[in-house]
Amino acid sequence: MEEQFNFSKKYSNYLLAGMAVALLICIGAILVSKPGASRIWANVLLNNQLFMGIALGAAFFIAVHRIAMSGWHTYLQRLPDAITTFLPFAFVLMLLLYFGMHNIYHWTDNSAHDAVIEGKKAWLNIPFFFVRMVFYFTGWIALTWLMNKNTIAIMGSTDIKYDNKRRIFAGLFLVFFGITVSTSSWDWIMSLDAHWYSTMFGWYVFIGMFVTALTFIILLVWFLRRAGYLKYLSADHIHDLAILLFCFSVFWTYLWFCQYLLIWYGHLPEETSYYIERLKSFKVIFFLNVALNFIIPFFGLITVESKRNLGWVAAVAAIVFIGHWIDYWLMIMPAATGDKAGIGFLEIFMTLFYAGMFIFIVFRSLAKGPIVVVNDPLLEESLNYES
Amino acid sequence: MNERKYISVYFDDEKYLIQAVKKLNESNETILDAQTPFPVHGLDGLLSMKRSRIPVGGFILGFVGAFLAFIFQAWVFTVSYPLIIGGKPFFSVPTFVPITFEVTVLFAGVSMVFALLIRSNLKPEYRFEPLNDRITDDMFVVLIDSTGEKTTIEKIKSTLSGIQTIEIR
Repeated sequence: MEEQFNFSKKYSNYLLAGMAVALLICIGAILVSKPGASRIWANVLLNNQLFMGIALGAAFFIAVHRIAMSGWHTYLQRLPDAITTFLPFAFVLMLLLYFGMHNIYHWTDNSAHDAVIEGKKAWLNIPFFFVRMVFYFTGWIALTWLMNKNTIAIMGSTDIKYDNKRRIFAGLFLVFFGITVSTSSWDWIMSLDAHWYSTMFGWYVFIGMFVTALTFIILLVWFLRRAGYLKYLSADHIHDLAILLFCFSVFWTYLWFCQYLLIWYGHLPEETSYYIERLKSFKVIFFLNVALNFIIPFFGLITVESKRNLGWVAAVAAIVFIGHWIDYWLMIMPAATGDKAGIGFLEIFMTLFYAGMFIFIVFRSLAKGPIVVVNDPLLEESLNYES
Repeated sequence: MNERKYISVYFDDEKYLIQAVKKLNESNETILDAQTPFPVHGLDGLLSMKRSRIPVGGFILGFVGAFLAFIFQAWVFTVSYPLIIGGKPFFSVPTFVPITFEVTVLFAGVSMVFALLIRSNLKPEYRFEPLNDRITDDMFVVLIDSTGEKTTIEKIKSTLSGIQTIEIR
């Protein structure tokens, strides 16, 4: 039962070397192909959003399960907990956007005299943008930190009060997150197309976050299992993770289609511009997005046997992860960079660099305590769980 | 008592039921059925029951529903009664998607319900006679095939000696 993840020198050296190589290729790509400042900053935004989304989705996962007093996840609860510790780093990375605001957010340009953007000045201005950013991250970081702190307290104590406390923080987090996830997605992604708006956008981004977090949790479980940890992991735990991935992929498709259908039917020029821009130049990527995020998980995970096979579930999760990268790419790139958008060495290796950094931080947090929280009151239920 | 083809064992807790089923499997008895007031976790696997094929039927019928709904709408809006709605083309796939989805769910759901009713023989005149009224409330029963020569009440009693049972008969 006492399992301790050993973040060995070997792993950390591999990760650091991989990060260094990826960073060098990024710099090389910038120097060789001269993609322009807007494309570089749009890449920074994309990766910030992707990996912050994983951390927030993991926090949502853990908060929902705690507040529902779910038993099955308690065996795996340290994994999402470790993922949420990326949030402070995401905060710093997001603050970097201050230097690239003018390159990607067209509403920061005051000289254009655009009546629509003038009307949105009260919300879309640089000082308030960063005030809101600080506000969101303060809430997210504080509440996830308090949840994690009580989990660590449970490791050393059998007092039930810590379990009750973190459940209260989970509830507070869900309320705060429910509102701020929408407003933050308006700020960081929807305002790239400052003229365009969609009332479904906050939900759409939120479900994308949750699905990417699920794929990352599944891949982390797969890795730990391969490395010889998680000895008591049963097919039932994998089954439940796969069910969540399956059903929230379907829900993502539902929101994707609702947003598309309403805009297509309404046929208002200020709304359709979003889809025209993307369908005109990036038709293949546009439909690849649906194929990877709906068709693959739907048919890949529809039978019971496929949901209970960890290797297969991890393979589907990896494909869905790539699918959501493409989803963010479609949301951000055409709006921020216009015709210069593309998928090249810069995009791929900057994501790999971020992924290395993300995994490094997650592993470091995971190694700080035992993988299994032995004193958790619901652990017994999780170990004898049947889905 | 000679016509009886089974021996019934009664329990008042699911954990004794599970223990007994495991013991009986070890001594190679044939378990005909188990009747419980609620679904007991892990019992299906122990009774070596075949996996239900109802989901397969649901998938196929859902597919049929999707196909029929799509074809029907395409026919209505292009051949039978073409109408201009919102300036869209007659054959526009996005408008067909919600109804195709709904009919898929309807076909899959209803077909699974009827498949269950037909396979379990649940017709209107069906009457269930429980071995004991308490198995619809708080009692569990396992039925063991006793047509074989070797299976006797004494043998079952000795097999289940360590487990708390209410009655073996």
